[in-house]
Amino acid sequence: MDKKVAIVGFRMKSAPDLVTTRERLTFELTRGLFDDLGIEREDVDTTIFCTNDFLDGRTISNCFLEGPAGCYMRDESKVEMDALNGLMYACMRILSGQYRTAMVVSLALTGYQVSPYLHIEYQLSPIYDRQMRLLNELSAAALQARSYLTRYGYSEELLDAVAVQALSNAAANPYQARRIPGVSKEKVASSSPYYEPLKELHCYPPTDGGCVLLLASAERAKELTDKPVWVLGMGQSIETFYLGERDLFRSPSTVKAAKRAYELAGIKDPKAEVDLAEVSALFAHQEPLLAEALGLLEEGAAESSYQSGDTAVSGKMPINPSGGALGGHPVSATGLIRAAEAVRQLRGEAGENQVGKAEVAVVHGQDGPCAQQNAVVVLGV
Amino acid sequence: MSVQEETFLTPVVPLDFTYNYYIGQYLTRYFKGFKEKKILGSRCPGCSKVAVPPRKYCGVCNKVMEEMVELPQEGTLENFTVGHVTMEKGGRLSPAEKPYVLGLIKLDDKASLLLHKVEGVDPSQVKAGMKVKAVWKDQVEGDYWDLDHFEPA
Amino acid sequence: MRNVAIVGIGYTPVFVSKRRDVCIPEMISEAVENAFKNSGLTPADIDAVVFGNMHTFEGLNLPHLWSADFIASLGKPVMRIATGGTTGMSAFHAAYYHIASGLHDVVMVVTYEKHSEGDAQVGLMGIITPEIMAMLAAGIDVTGQKGMGAIGGGSAGGISYQATSYLHHSGAGIEHIDAIAAMERRNASKNPYAHLKDPEATAEKIAQTPLISWPIRFGHVCPTTDGATVCILASEEKAAKIADKAAWVWAVANCASDATTGNLIEGIITDPGEQMPATIAAKKAYERAGIQDPRKEIDYVEIYNGFAHQTLMFLERIGMCEVGEAHKLLEKGELEMSGSLPVNASGGVVSTNAIGTSALNRVTECALQLMGQAGEHQVEKEVHKALAHGWGGLMQYVTITILADKPKKL
Ligand SMILES: [Zn+2]
Repeated sequence: MDKKVAIVGFRMKSAPDLVTTRERLTFELTRGLFDDLGIEREDVDTTIFCTNDFLDGRTISNCFLEGPAGCYMRDESKVEMDALNGLMYACMRILSGQYRTAMVVSLALTGYQVSPYLHIEYQLSPIYDRQMRLLNELSAAALQARSYLTRYGYSEELLDAVAVQALSNAAANPYQARRIPGVSKEKVASSSPYYEPLKELHCYPPTDGGCVLLLASAERAKELTDKPVWVLGMGQSIETFYLGERDLFRSPSTVKAAKRAYELAGIKDPKAEVDLAEVSALFAHQEPLLAEALGLLEEGAAESSYQSGDTAVSGKMPINPSGGALGGHPVSATGLIRAAEAVRQLRGEAGENQVGKAEVAVVHGQDGPCAQQNAVVVLGV
Repeated sequence: MSVQEETFLTPVVPLDFTYNYYIGQYLTRYFKGFKEKKILGSRCPGCSKVAVPPRKYCGVCNKVMEEMVELPQEGTLENFTVGHVTMEKGGRLSPAEKPYVLGLIKLDDKASLLLHKVEGVDPSQVKAGMKVKAVWKDQVEGDYWDLDHFEPA
Repeated sequence: MRNVAIVGIGYTPVFVSKRRDVCIPEMISEAVENAFKNSGLTPADIDAVVFGNMHTFEGLNLPHLWSADFIASLGKPVMRIATGGTTGMSAFHAAYYHIASGLHDVVMVVTYEKHSEGDAQVGLMGIITPEIMAMLAAGIDVTGQKGMGAIGGGSAGGISYQATSYLHHSGAGIEHIDAIAAMERRNASKNPYAHLKDPEATAEKIAQTPLISWPIRFGHVCPTTDGATVCILASEEKAAKIADKAAWVWAVANCASDATTGNLIEGIITDPGEQMPATIAAKKAYERAGIQDPRKEIDYVEIYNGFAHQTLMFLERIGMCEVGEAHKLLEKGELEMSGSLPVNASGGVVSTNAIGTSALNRVTECALQLMGQAGEHQVEKEVHKALAHGWGGLMQYVTITILADKPKKL
């Protein structure tokens, strides 16, 4: 995709419980973004919302955000998915030549209306799974975790190691919601069991939060910022809905999405060319599973990668230096937050969590039970 | 009004909607099979995979799975999880009264894995690869829970 | 910018109240099968899929996940678009940008609604339920003006304010709403994919249907329909290889107003008949399509009219005639299939409303007219340019698509 579309600014927020309204959070984030860039709402040519009606507990939930986001009498649309897909749509709109700037807005107040787990429950088949009530977000993830551990002969300690790394990174990141100082393997291993082998601290915490991000064409980006972060490639793919027909230990849709994204970005050897990854892993086992699918870790070597510190902030392939979704998962916004975290890294603004060399980053977002659908975006400076 | 002075209304809205889902042509055949204590699947003419429960399309081949086949009632436990929590209607988690087993069961080499309860075994003793068999309700009515659970064969 | 064409259209065999014989993905797959038949394409030809339906109506979250195996989408990018009533056209626009961006060549749009499995009014009430609950908690009388305004947001209650405003500003009467409704029911009887059909419909007959809330009667209101629509788009290079006939996209545009427009929420009273987003979106679309005088250059219009008065009202808002002129064109028979400005030969949304498909059907119906494939409901005049209009959100969001029978000069 060369250097045609750039991320020129972002605002994000994540907390266990934001005592606010969706409208106020939208205004706070978008107004903040405009102020950061010294622009007004008229400078935003189009806006893509990514919110989820089920989570918001209301139909066409983005309608009430159009005013606070500044798109009164302006151009907008809505992608009801993880917001990394919204970012991809915004890119398409700019690449078409119709628009010079596009804003992506995503947020979730998970405590606002319904339990976050309900968001997945209502994705299941209403004529089978939802009648049987055996499958839910956690039991599905547990089956995936077991499948992954069994396939490669990993011990359950791998889950603890992944969670400790993610939660330690999250503890040092002011943008994260779940920050546990001095988190240890013992603490993770002794957290309450959900569905074996998953325990509470292997799973994402239901959190509130949001993220807005402005994209611009190359020409416009130069006017708006000295530190553009370029969208170099993107891809997305979906696999079968039926868990009983999926090899849960791998993610073929992530492999496909990544292949497309790397092709567009001109990346031939991701292990050598990518400097860090921000992966929407909602459960500990998903982080190495997805990193393998993204071609960043050797298949079957996750245990040694995590033990040797290769995946740590200071390692040779840092995975989720931000702490990832184990530090906070405002449903829908999570993928966009990963993108914003990658932007912080690529601009050298990630503070304590800054990785050494940060020129190319891979960002991932997911939808569906056990990551049925995956989106991959490659960013670079 | 300053932010400090603002109060947020947090009304709890217990919404409960009724939906009427038509189960379609294929699941109807599945439940007809239940009336005879049979487990049916639909076979793909492309890859010869058998979907259990049956459905219209094989997404991989984009082919209609018209042919119905009966599956054995005994199979292998391929994968499982032991639940320590239950998720009630509304998505709230609460501790389970006692741990329970959910298993992905392979009834045939070509069949998709069927998710079901596995009972009659101590959850700590469950192992992948175990042989299990279907246990039916005494009275079958062509309904979801006619096939009650699986137990060690 | 690249040129984009419609190269295939597929509907479910029928659009009816209740499809009891199929589950949701089974129903959607029928439209997908028909789109492949219509275009001569196979699943392998599709690069990406855009999926849309009305949120929450069937109690499903992201139903493209459940439908993935039924819509030839495995291993492909699938994007779910949802913007309320306009969803079908918003999904079409997304497919357009998939191709216009240069990233994809052939993209399939899949839309559906199976109203019989849920309750549309419950779904619509979901738009404003939180407001009502907040009002109750704050001790506001929800039966008073504010509450009724809010409640009206989702149903015929609020629409009657809009219709009243339209009648007041245009000088039309309730008899004109009866007459346009009758025209569309008659048109629908010639469309195999329409739901409410009445070849004998007359204004007098419609006038006998019970009043819901003046000036809206049962005869003015759309049904709830089960059905699915699929549309396949392709880049100019691909279209040349795939299709003998194609309809070309000349412009897409949209505009959103604030959610309080057309409502009485929060004490703000605005005119629900003003529909400024329609005027703005149409103006943008004309500019993008290089259209100087839409009245002369556009031959055919499909209006999203959940309620019959909207055909007339939106013709005025999008500049196809002056304010106060639409009902006079109707009186002269110009809006009929034989007229100079034929509108909704398909029967419109007021005759068939499977919401997810409704705004896409406006586009596909324009395409059929342009390609001369509308069969019995093909209009008499030659159609070279057509405009499709979508309306939704909280009565405040409008999408416009302009199609032509040949590619745009870039
Ligand atoms: Zn097959």
